[in-house]
Amino acid sequence: MKDRLAAALKASRADYTEIRLERTWSSAVTFRGRRLETATVSEDQGGFVRCLDRGCGWGIASFTSLDALPQMVARAHELSRAVRLERPIRLAETTAQEADVALDLDGDVRGVPLAEKKKLIEAYNGAMLAVSGAIVDTQAIYRDEVSEVWYVNSEGTALAQVRPEVTVSGTAIARRDGTIEKGLESIGLRRGWNSVHGFEERFRVVAQRAADLLDAPRVQGGAYPVILDNELAGVFIHEAFGHLSEADFVYENPQAREMMTLGRRFGKPVLNVGDNGAASGLRGTLPFDDEGTPTQDTVLIRDGILVGRLHSRETAAAMSERPTGNARAMSFRHPPIVRMTNTYIAPGQGGATLQDLIKDVKLGVYACGAFGGQTMLENFSFTAAWGHMIRDGQIAELVKDVVLAGNLFQTLDRIDHIAGDFTWNQMGGGCGKAGQFPLPVTEGAPHVRIEEILVGGDV
Amino acid sequence: MIERLLEAARARGGADALWRREERTSVAFESGRLKTTGIIEEAGLNLRLVAGGRVGVAGTTAAAPDIDELVARAAASADLGENLDLTFPPTSPLPHVPTFFHRAADASLDRLIAIGKGLVERLARDGCQVNVAIEREVGETAVGNSAGARGGYRSTGVAVTADVVRIASDDVLMIYDQYVGGDLPTDADLDALVRSIEMRLEPALTIVTPPDGALPVVFTPAGLAAIVLPLEQALSGKTVLQGSSPLAARVGEQVFDTRLSISDDPLAPQGPASRPIDDECVASTATRLVEGGIVRAFVYDLETATRAKTRTTGNGRRGIFGKPGIRYTNLIVGTPRPTSYPPGLGGGLIADIQDGLVVDDLIGVGQGNVTAGGFSHPVGLAYRVQGGEITGRVKDAAVAGNVYELLKHIGGFGSDGRWLGSRWSPSLRLEGVSVARR
Repeated sequence: MKDRLAAALKASRADYTEIRLERTWSSAVTFRGRRLETATVSEDQGGFVRCLDRGCGWGIASFTSLDALPQMVARAHELSRAVRLERPIRLAETTAQEADVALDLDGDVRGVPLAEKKKLIEAYNGAMLAVSGAIVDTQAIYRDEVSEVWYVNSEGTALAQVRPEVTVSGTAIARRDGTIEKGLESIGLRRGWNSVHGFEERFRVVAQRAADLLDAPRVQGGAYPVILDNELAGVFIHEAFGHLSEADFVYENPQAREMMTLGRRFGKPVLNVGDNGAASGLRGTLPFDDEGTPTQDTVLIRDGILVGRLHSRETAAAMSERPTGNARAMSFRHPPIVRMTNTYIAPGQGGATLQDLIKDVKLGVYACGAFGGQTMLENFSFTAAWGHMIRDGQIAELVKDVVLAGNLFQTLDRIDHIAGDFTWNQMGGGCGKAGQFPLPVTEGAPHVRIEEILVGGDV
Repeated sequence: MIERLLEAARARGGADALWRREERTSVAFESGRLKTTGIIEEAGLNLRLVAGGRVGVAGTTAAAPDIDELVARAAASADLGENLDLTFPPTSPLPHVPTFFHRAADASLDRLIAIGKGLVERLARDGCQVNVAIEREVGETAVGNSAGARGGYRSTGVAVTADVVRIASDDVLMIYDQYVGGDLPTDADLDALVRSIEMRLEPALTIVTPPDGALPVVFTPAGLAAIVLPLEQALSGKTVLQGSSPLAARVGEQVFDTRLSISDDPLAPQGPASRPIDDECVASTATRLVEGGIVRAFVYDLETATRAKTRTTGNGRRGIFGKPGIRYTNLIVGTPRPTSYPPGLGGGLIADIQDGLVVDDLIGVGQGNVTAGGFSHPVGLAYRVQGGEITGRVKDAAVAGNVYELLKHIGGFGSDGRWLGSRWSPSLRLEGVSVARR
């Protein structure tokens, strides 16, 4: 494979050429209710070429027929030359990298019979179904893959990477007449077969919660002090701030650059935020990004002040900053764009506990778990899986439909207390941007208190 | 390819297969500058095998697929599979519906670039950044099964997306629209796209305080996504079969306002998802799901229909790797009628609203308790209506309600019906939607 890549690279007449080839082996087993939906093994392969001539635009080609590689390099070059730019695209300097990296396969999923995987996910599915008669439907999915990725560019970088991934996830639907509730569990790791055992209890708990939510009232809409649990706080920082720190949002836009000037205060001194693609064994972890740049721990907010952002080589050059290893592509079907990896809120210094965050809240909401989140840049939404009212410093009744409506400039600044109980959320699923979904990412956070935030709901 | 594959599978049992090839050409303008042009070529083969009464699937994107290996992989999948008495449909005449447009297929890269340039120029204004992307797809699909059915068609698709981003100190405003169709957009289509963005941009420049309480809210065709999503779930045969559809036992009942109709129509003229045959060799036909507010039918694919002991509605869709699943084609909400021109924001439904909202975009759609019909979302783009006039854009507000309650009485259908992706709908006015503000 390396020889084919070297030959194709050598034949390219473009000023800059990069080639990425992928071969992905995957298997999946899905249950719906008591029934097996599918058990499959798949192999997907393809390539991606990107060329850039001086003074021209990007020309890109993606293809499944690997035999066509030489023609695809020529076409990408031709496409690059079709676009003339007055202000040329520049790429930040990086050191050429040569490496052969296999991440820890931790029980190579390719060697485990499909029947074993079926047995595992059937047990998790069964744990949800066994909770009570109120659980009318479930979905349980086991999915794994081992992706071999070769990357070369005309500046001398040549990388071979083996990237494993394994996910078990479940949805439990509880129903009583017209009332329907759900519970989600999802565990995703950049590891293998050995990492996904012994989770029956976690699947049982989410199904039980779905059943419990049938009797819970909807939260009443309005502004409250809200404490986010670790999982939701992770989703919060991803949506509230992570996307705005992706430099492709700001680098071509003078007003956006001004809005996101380094040194601007976004939060109180308790707030520290970063993105760490080099952390060990997490879903967003990779030794190199899809431009061959080594990943790193990038501090984004230090003591409440904006100090960094996430870059590709192009955005870094345009803003005279350094690449951070955040150019990621979901597969050979896509170009690398600026993405998060493992994004986190750092634990507070004082080692505070959940109890410390709650004790002086008279009326508030403890928002837990995550059904998801979405950002529209300045405004964002994140949906808790369930919540509890906080009354007079105590966790009180279960409530449902807790959807939080945030604003970048106000909500971050209202974080006034951060606990010391940091955890990474090892969830499956992923992040979507520019049609690339789901890209594996992880978030991590301790419990976080927001002085006041809008909770949607009946008023 | 399909013939060879079905032949190789015959010794193991019944089978159906799909082969699909797609070539996409894209041009992207970033902040007004053309920066990227690209092509994507992809081809793949998907096989479903019924061996010993059990169903298995396998797929491949290999350029020269190893047919025997693919059949063996499908057989291994079937070994673990559930029993299912799947009967593949016999051959049947296919309806005629245009899916391939030479003008789109033959358009040069320069032509696509020219469309983008034209849009960038027309949308440019001080203090705003304009992003435009154009993607043209040319595809070919072939399907076949062991009962002798064969089908195939060529298709073209064009998607033009445009957004205008305006950042003024700490206020970020983004207005987006799209054209999606089988053919290249006409001048009128491009005019409509520009006007639709302008119509929403001008009143958005003024920011006003949001109202609160239970209020009349007009959901634009784009804003309707949150309202339609629970219905799409509930009208899917899969949800019905699983026992989680709130509409499952209500066929023939008056569940919604008598003026509400919803249908799935793969033969709709100009429908972006139109095609003569589904991915399971079933000839396309329209399905009336809700008529006059009465629930009439659900959409099915072959497997779900078999389990539910009913007939497939021809809504089978398959990718290269998985098994077929249920997918809507063109979803028609309301009754198509001539669109007023030029369409105004709110579709003519705001004249008698004393205080309310026009909602064009909500954040986090699909992340709540969708199945039950409940929704609660911060607004992405919404306008306040006071005394029958739009007075400006609101921020930091959230709307909530239950679709099944709200659709019992619809305040009005707008005169601004349009395609948005493969969904056609006008604006809808709903009464008593909860609006919360900070």
